[in-house]
Amino acid sequence: MKINQIYVNLPVKDIQKTKEFWINIGFFVNEQISDERAVCIIMSDHIYVMFITEEYFQTFSERPVPKGDTTQVLLAIGLNSREEVDQIVNAAVANGAYQHEEPQDYGWMYHNSFWDINGHGWNVTFADPSQMPQEYK
Amino acid sequence: MEINQIYVNLPVENVQETRAFWTTLGFSINEHYSDEKAICVVMKENHIYIMFLKEDFFSTFTDRPVAGGETTQTLLAIAVNSREEVDIMVKTATENGGSAYSEPQDHGWMYQSAFSDINGHQWEVMFADASKITDKK
Repeated sequence: MKINQIYVNLPVKDIQKTKEFWINIGFFVNEQISDERAVCIIMSDHIYVMFITEEYFQTFSERPVPKGDTTQVLLAIGLNSREEVDQIVNAAVANGAYQHEEPQDYGWMYHNSFWDINGHGWNVTFADPSQMPQEYK
Repeated sequence: MEINQIYVNLPVENVQETRAFWTTLGFSINEHYSDEKAICVVMKENHIYIMFLKEDFFSTFTDRPVAGGETTQTLLAIAVNSREEVDIMVKTATENGGSAYSEPQDHGWMYQSAFSDINGHQWEVMFADASKITDKK
């Protein structure tokens, strides 16, 4: 079994602020499936993140939206260079996110992280496959 | 900005049972990133992976407690290649300890069904026929 696309759906309090945050970090919005209740951020041709108002999100689940005091998901995204990793985390922090951990450098992999303005956790990674240690191949 | 990969990280109680569940649904495992604390399910090679992490391991990556299953922080929507694949996946999931939480919905150009997996994570499975999209959101 193989999928062709994923839409990660996450609840947010304010669509407009969320939209501005992700645009400021450098992503594009798919306006066709965005409105006042949801914004669709294009991460790649296959990968989308839908930020949905808590009230609307609530209609898709019989369980309540958490109040930000727990974690059920952490999202790790792979970028194309170390510079992009730092750029995205710096832009996020400049726009209201906070850095979750210090950057970690494993040589073949570079890793940084932020928690966005809605409290969702993002790990941002660049991996250089040509430098990957043998045990991972 | 474009990402090249996403790893969706989700907490689970039992890694072995989780592995059996997702293997039964037809997905393959990336054994290099799997051990007794975590399994890596390949949803789309080189692009989309789900990491299921044992709760105590997952909690080392966040400063908030792991959600207890009474709330929903994320809904994961995955697109497959036919209506039949949608139905097969949801049927297999419910026969193997998952549960359906909504009725299938047929929008003509898009067909959608959903299940909650054995760890309570909610999956919206869809097939969209791009050739039948009308000028509609």
